[in-house]
Amino acid sequence: MKFSKLIYRNIFRNRLRAILTVLLMAAIFFFIATLLSILENFTLFSEAGKGQNRLATQSAISLANVLPVAHEQKIRQIPGIVDVCQMQWFGAYYKEPKNFFANFAIDHHHMRTVFDDYAIPDKEFEAYANDRQGTIVGPELMKRFGWKVGDRITLKSTIFPFNPELNIRGVYKHPIDSSSLFFRMDYFQQAMGNNGLVGMFWIKVKDAKNMTSVSKQIDDMFRNSTDPTETFTEKEFQLNFLSMMGDIKLLFHSISLCSIFMVILLAAITMSMSARERVTEIAVLKAIGFPRGLVLTLMLIEFALLTLIGGTVGVLGGTFVYRFVNMTEVTQGFLVNFGLYPTPIIACVIASLGVGLLAGGWPAMRSANMSVVDGLRRVV
Amino acid sequence: MEVLVRIENVKKIYRRDEFDVPVLNGVSVDVGRGDFLALMGPSGSGKTTLLNLIAGIDRPTGGRILVEEKEISRFSETQLASWRARHVGFIFQLYNLIPVLNAFENVELPLLLTKLSRKERREHVNTALNIVGLGDRMFHYPRQLSGGQEQRVAIARAIVTDPTIIVADEPTGDLDARNAEEVLNLLQRLNDEFQKTIIMVTHDPKAAQHARRTLHLEKGMLVEMLTGAGMEAMSARAEA
Ligand SMILES: Nc1ncnc2c1ncn2[C@@H]1O[C@H](COP(=O)(O)OP(=O)(O)OP(=O)(O)O)[C@@H](O)[C@H]1O
Ligand SMILES: [Mg+2]
Repeated sequence: MKFSKLIYRNIFRNRLRAILTVLLMAAIFFFIATLLSILENFTLFSEAGKGQNRLATQSAISLANVLPVAHEQKIRQIPGIVDVCQMQWFGAYYKEPKNFFANFAIDHHHMRTVFDDYAIPDKEFEAYANDRQGTIVGPELMKRFGWKVGDRITLKSTIFPFNPELNIRGVYKHPIDSSSLFFRMDYFQQAMGNNGLVGMFWIKVKDAKNMTSVSKQIDDMFRNSTDPTETFTEKEFQLNFLSMMGDIKLLFHSISLCSIFMVILLAAITMSMSARERVTEIAVLKAIGFPRGLVLTLMLIEFALLTLIGGTVGVLGGTFVYRFVNMTEVTQGFLVNFGLYPTPIIACVIASLGVGLLAGGWPAMRSANMSVVDGLRRVV
Repeated sequence: MEVLVRIENVKKIYRRDEFDVPVLNGVSVDVGRGDFLALMGPSGSGKTTLLNLIAGIDRPTGGRILVEEKEISRFSETQLASWRARHVGFIFQLYNLIPVLNAFENVELPLLLTKLSRKERREHVNTALNIVGLGDRMFHYPRQLSGGQEQRVAIARAIVTDPTIIVADEPTGDLDARNAEEVLNLLQRLNDEFQKTIIMVTHDPKAAQHARRTLHLEKGMLVEMLTGAGMEAMSARAEA
């Protein structure tokens, strides 16, 4: 376009102001993209078991309470169940507390049926099944700690009185969860003195339609026992884990909208100033014969480009920052595998363009509609 | 001489608050093709107002303005804009170059509204800058030029589209005597050599002497008088 030079030069004519505007936009959109990505990260993880027809049974007394292993045989009697798998949240770290990640003891006899969305190569699974101290690890963890299959590692427990010594026997693949570690339930039980207690049961149900009724039957079965249970669908369980998710979503969205509104006002001030300074020049362009539509278009493109550059710098900066800053460490495991997701990136880029158009609309319109004579008189 | 601009009983009244401020009270004058007209008169007499009307950036309250037989005073704003792009070259007292564009780009500006190719535009700009004697300053920015040079770039911008009329509002008002003289000689040359029709507002009788004709505006009415160069030019032409 033959006017691109004029647009480009006008964007950066007041370099300091342009840079400050770009930085302001970048900071705001970095922030918004981060908030939206946190939401997306949560949502992704809460939907990790989508379509898996899994139920989670825990103690009804409290999350920290344990259940008798013997519950498993009773649960299995309920019709419509594919399999049941014992699991224990272990909560250990590797070497230092900042190296925190999700690790579990799991019953290896049943994990492949209940968690069939976790793909483990047969050879590797076999090696794991043959080694009481074997462990299966997510690819992201392998990368994070530089582990290789065959390595021997020691986890430092924060809850239980022993530090598991594990041999990495394989790496699983999962569409979303890539940073968990699973080791064998029998190893855990042995270390705990076979006390016959476990944190929770995962139940795979044959038909999604039966999820609610199976869940109710389990809880009814133990209601009057010494160890009553509470059963959730996997999604409820995850959302429970992030119980404030709904509120967080509303909060994050409101903060994002407020920031955008604020930045529109700030940009509008900058752009009005920039349009005002150029009244004479714009009058000259119009005198020379630039039609009002062209003047309007040139100014809108200029303003929108400026904010677009800002928004782009913000999300690129964010992508870069989260690539090199390990957010799992920084947030102590609160955000796993965190980075800016495509949807928030695209949303922010589009929003930054919108900010330019909205904030610049009024000043650009005024300039385009200004009478040439009035514009020229303002010189003198 | 063929009549290029015909001004018939033109009135201009500004409204200021509740009051009407009459500036032009029925001005009539013809400007011939190839003329060089100086417009003089006391401050506030309406010189700029009249010039703006002829240039099509303002519209009269009454009367008619015809340029090449077209009644521009009845054009819509859009029509006027495209008419100005083809027919009017502007020269301002304060040059009014675009500071972020260099001399070449400033002169090229009016050509961006045409269908000319990049190469044709470059040729036109080169020609215009050479005419004003700034072929060697093409890539200088306005702030790197002297006032006189800036005004010459502005003149190049005004002539680059080969307009029908050039309007100049006190083109030497901000220049020292030497630069003023240079600019006036340039305008005179454009008129003599290239037969450009020029209408120039000025306060300075010496500047007016470069024109063929001088008109005086007093209390919203026009008074014509023949002066110096204009007089000589007229008599020279009569002899020829
Ligand atoms: N937009 C406007 N609104 C109200 N009055 C105006 C407007 N423009 C011009 N005037 C008035 O019209 C009169 C003529 O103005 P104009 O600018 O044409 O004078 P001028 O002859 O060019 O004066 P100068 O020599 O000082 O440039 C002045 O009294 C001025 O105040
Ligand atoms: Mg004036």
